[in-house]
Amino acid sequence: MGREVSESCIDSLLTEMVSSYCNRFYANKPELAARRIEAIGYQVGHQLSERYTMERPRFSDHLEAIKFICKDFWSELFKKQIDNLKTNHRGTFVLQDNRFRWLARMSLDPTAEEGVPQDPAALAESKAAQAMSMYLYFPCGIIRGALSNLGIPCAVSADISNLPACEYPESYVLCVVMHACSLCSNGHCHGQL
Amino acid sequence: MATTASFIIVSRNDIPIYEAEVGSATKREDAAQLHQFVLHAALDIVQDLAWTTSAMFLKNIDRFNDLVVSVYVTAGHTRLMLLHDSRNDDGIKSFFQEVHELYIKVLLNPLYLPGARIASSHFDTKVRALARKYL
Repeated sequence: MGREVSESCIDSLLTEMVSSYCNRFYANKPELAARRIEAIGYQVGHQLSERYTMERPRFSDHLEAIKFICKDFWSELFKKQIDNLKTNHRGTFVLQDNRFRWLARMSLDPTAEEGVPQDPAALAESKAAQAMSMYLYFPCGIIRGALSNLGIPCAVSADISNLPACEYPESYVLCVVMHACSLCSNGHCHGQL
Repeated sequence: MATTASFIIVSRNDIPIYEAEVGSATKREDAAQLHQFVLHAALDIVQDLAWTTSAMFLKNIDRFNDLVVSVYVTAGHTRLMLLHDSRNDDGIKSFFQEVHELYIKVLLNPLYLPGARIASSHFDTKVRALARKYL
């Protein structure tokens, strides 16, 4: 079970999946499309976590499982580890990846909007950011599925930002925020994409 | 030499998703559900023991008359439980590892819902073949 997949296939599959769900299946309902994509990611995460934990001992607590996600799981999926892990010790974890591989070949085109009267730069940027955020639901679902399978129900949300001065002009910093679902009772934790 | 062995896979929600009588002895009619009963009763013990160790293979966790229960727990808290009367620990461990691999293959099927019954006859055939080989 150690075979590999071509990276361009993964990129094409993700692009096509987001495009199908957003433009064909749920044409004017981006929230529903997002939920479906996240649900696909959930099942994939479930399967992948079972597969990648096969050879190693089980986890004794939540922190071990999160470290597994940051190191082994992230390496299997994205060929690198998480660059920064922060926690508030009350159930919220922030994972930061300085060069998120699945978005590495995407660029924002700020000149795409024509004839927009006021504040064209900000408007175009927010529309582009919204389009970009659709591509983050799948990885969030994968992480949520993997953690749920390891016994940690959680909510996962992701955020992207450009590095201010970086060598790779098209690299995005991905911050994934997770918090354990015991805080979920008010329903407000499925946050901010 | 006839061996009794009963194998069951229990998901993380404590629902059995697969069961098979893999021993070579014939099933007794007067105690038809005895094996399932003993395995279910052992679930409580597995629950306690699973948190004390990070190994996957928990050896003999319970016994009933001359039958012994061995359990293998995966990271996703799926329990593979075997009720048997032999003492072949290494064979049982290899059996569990091979069934674990088969289980992951079933799980990777996108049409299989995690937590549902495993109805694949292919899986069934392979598990019985492994049982004949290792037990």
